[in-house]
Amino acid sequence: MSDFDQIVVGEEWENTDLSLLETLDHVLNRGLVIAGEITIAVADIDLIFVGLNVMVSSVETAQEVLRKRASNE
Amino acid sequence: MKLYAYCLAEDLNSLNDATSGISGAPVRLLKIDNLAVLISDVDVVPVTREHALTHAAVVRSILDQTTPLPFRFGTLVTEQQLRNYISTHKPALENKLAHVRGCVEMSVKIIWELPNGKQTDAVNGERQGAGTTFLVEKRREILGDEQRSKQAAEISDWLRAEVTGLTRDEQITLRPSERLLLSAAHLIERVSIGQYRVQLAKARKNRPDLHFLVSGPWPPYSFANIELEFPTQFGVS
Repeated sequence: MSDFDQIVVGEEWENTDLSLLETLDHVLNRGLVIAGEITIAVADIDLIFVGLNVMVSSVETAQEVLRKRASNE
Repeated sequence: MKLYAYCLAEDLNSLNDATSGISGAPVRLLKIDNLAVLISDVDVVPVTREHALTHAAVVRSILDQTTPLPFRFGTLVTEQQLRNYISTHKPALENKLAHVRGCVEMSVKIIWELPNGKQTDAVNGERQGAGTTFLVEKRREILGDEQRSKQAAEISDWLRAEVTGLTRDEQITLRPSERLLLSAAHLIERVSIGQYRVQLAKARKNRPDLHFLVSGPWPPYSFANIELEFPTQFGVS
């Protein structure tokens, strides 16, 4: 989990969820991509956090990867 | 058996401890030329929260030793594919490693509370026809959208000015979602982190109308990508 030094957000968000969301935002949306070699399984997806746009973006990215993968096979 | 790739790094000859990787598999170093790739031997990587967090933890585990280039979550390859990738992209990877050397990433998300104008419009709409209400609403959306885009650009400029001289690089995304005004990643030299935090804290005090989510230090996820042969694949730009 990441070290968060400063967080100022709406009071309804707990820091633990934000830490998780920020981590997922980084690992799912960013980083080196070896074109065509992302292999992730669809089973056991439990990444959805309703109402948090960062996470929605991450899930969309994962789904897009799966779609591209499927269309290439 | 395939290889799950977490990140690649330079000047890394051993791992500090027996880090546990995806699905509990051990993490090991694969040396390819002068680069080290952190890998685990696995066949399948289900998308779970635990696996995504494990990926982040493994990459983070070497952040004190060096600045790695993280792979995106879900990178599963054969050893030959990994070797081919590194040999064909070696100059670009070395340039990228040099760019992030000695740095970490700090993340700033700015959230803007949207003005609540919809209720007023709805009340007015009761006195108008459905077509007029639709057009008024559409006009409001377009004007509001333009105004928010302009504000996002202004705040992006303001933020850049506030941390000027402290960033080696930046990646800014304006309005990545409805409530997020902007998402910024700053590449900061490790020795400047303290000064960056102080500067950002001062800046935040001057903008009480905005909500900030500042996190880090991170491995440089936002600065890892090299130019791809097919830049639009996977939405990477």
